Amino acid sequence: MIMFVFRNNTIERFFPQDYEFSGYDDVSFIPKDADGYIWFYQAPIKFDNGLLAEEVNAYLQKFRFVMDRVDPNKTFIAFMMDLIYTVPLFNGDFRVKEAVVQYNAGLLEAASIHSNIKVVDITEFTRQYPAKELMDWKFYFLSQMGLNPRMANDFKAWFAKKLDQIALKRKKCVVLDLDNTLWGGVLGEDGIDGIKIGGDYPGKAFLYFQEALLELSKNGVILTVCSKNNEQDVLEAWEKNPFIVLKKEHFAACRINWQDKANNIKELAEELNIGLDSFVFVDDNPTERELVKQLLPMVSAPDFPVQPYELPEFFKRLVEDYFMVYAITDEDTKKTEQYKANALRSESQKQFADFEAFLKSLEIRLTIEAANEFNIPRIAQMTQKTNQFNLTTKRYTDADIKTMLAEHWKVYCVSVNDKFGDSGITGCILVNGDEIDSCLLSCRVLGKGIEMAFIKRILQVLKADGNKKIKAKYIPTVKNAQVKEFYERCGFDCVSETEFGEKEYFADLEKMDLNIKDYYKIDLK
Amino acid sequence: MMEQKILELMKSVFQTDGIDETCSQQNCEKWDSMNHLNLIVELEMEFGVSFEPEEIAEMRSYGDVVRIVKSKMS
Repeated sequence: MIMFVFRNNTIERFFPQDYEFSGYDDVSFIPKDADGYIWFYQAPIKFDNGLLAEEVNAYLQKFRFVMDRVDPNKTFIAFMMDLIYTVPLFNGDFRVKEAVVQYNAGLLEAASIHSNIKVVDITEFTRQYPAKELMDWKFYFLSQMGLNPRMANDFKAWFAKKLDQIALKRKKCVVLDLDNTLWGGVLGEDGIDGIKIGGDYPGKAFLYFQEALLELSKNGVILTVCSKNNEQDVLEAWEKNPFIVLKKEHFAACRINWQDKANNIKELAEELNIGLDSFVFVDDNPTERELVKQLLPMVSAPDFPVQPYELPEFFKRLVEDYFMVYAITDEDTKKTEQYKANALRSESQKQFADFEAFLKSLEIRLTIEAANEFNIPRIAQMTQKTNQFNLTTKRYTDADIKTMLAEHWKVYCVSVNDKFGDSGITGCILVNGDEIDSCLLSCRVLGKGIEMAFIKRILQVLKADGNKKIKAKYIPTVKNAQVKEFYERCGFDCVSETEFGEKEYFADLEKMDLNIKDYYKIDLK
Repeated sequence: MMEQKILELMKSVFQTDGIDETCSQQNCEKWDSMNHLNLIVELEMEFGVSFEPEEIAEMRSYGDVVRIVKSKMS
């Protein structure tokens, strides 16, 4: 992504090398070919506070001028302003501070109206430093650098994380140890009443950690347990210790046994149908972390604090490094429920000898919707995160999807519910003209024939729209081998296959069997 | 040793391996004003020194850089 940066100071050092920059304080040129835009204006150095306040106001006008002229389908990242150097000459002179507050409010207001504008709070970065270190006046005078050039690498790392958050990339699941991680002490030795949770320190620090994790799970992160303990002891503690916040129902899956944790985590990944690289392993024992790092290098295993009073800082880092996103979608907030409903479905599957009878009993309902303002963020998120059932693995932002719609692509998403619960929006198909560009489904709805019902219904729509032939593609990745034959199963003809396994398909809608099993109820909106 | 490190920094800032002891602002097109400041910041961080603006202006070649860094370190 080549971003174009509007700026009023020398800040090239703080951004990736291939970014392009405006002239200083220059909004006369807005390149059309940039992939996205960044607005990075800093308060100028001036000693007349009235003038300075006016100048900050003028920056907001300039921002709005640019905002109205950039392509509304391209990401536009606006940095809030931080007042790094100001000398009010009398107490109570808040003119500049007020102007900065208004400037930042103006950016937020713009973001609430235009969904391509994403506001980044620069004080998240600057407040890590003492005010004096933020500027290096020598470099300011030599080349108008508005930030200390020594901070460039830290800034780049922080900004890269922000970009990931805006692109909705994050880990999905945290694997938690119990003893000395979720509570103080060892359950097997100290007993249900002896472990430290709630009450005074250190129990209070562990309580805060549990409360924090609970909020994380409400925002779409899946919690699981992997602990070396007797399962019966843990179940009893969950039931009887009133101070424990995170109980059985908060965890989508548990491995409480004496096996090695790497194997347990692998099993959790299989049970939940989540890739191992979406896991973060939290354990106080450095040996366990090392084992997991060695055997499962794709699992993140951050250092755990030695002292319980460090837990609030640890949690903050955990969120910032792995779980922050720019916005939370509805589906995120229901995630643990959905994964648990899946576990129930697998249970009931065991009772039916005949798979079709099982499917019939589920009362499956598919709701297919064309892309609209409300589901676009979720569609973009799915293209970013879905790895296994994904035919072409193309990643898109919500701005990209909007561009497609403007170019008359057909974009559909599907939500699925059955008698055990609602999975929310869990799949999408993107069609460009007569070619299926992307087709993907979240793993948690697989195994019920939904993929086949979904694509056939979409093919019916395309046929009704007058299409006779449809093209499609399979692009192999390390993760999507399970869909290698998907289009063959649908009745597409494979017309070419490269040495890398990339396949091109062709479907003759006139001849193809587009009938869908009658136990899927499908609403098309 | 120090000379070696300076050459490495110049290569990484100017993003080219074609840097040797003869390099100067005259003959190296990557050595523009922006990269000059980038080089100064890297040198200051690497050697734990702070150059005065006059010294920064004087560093026009690899030889100048080595001479001024040495004078700061001694």
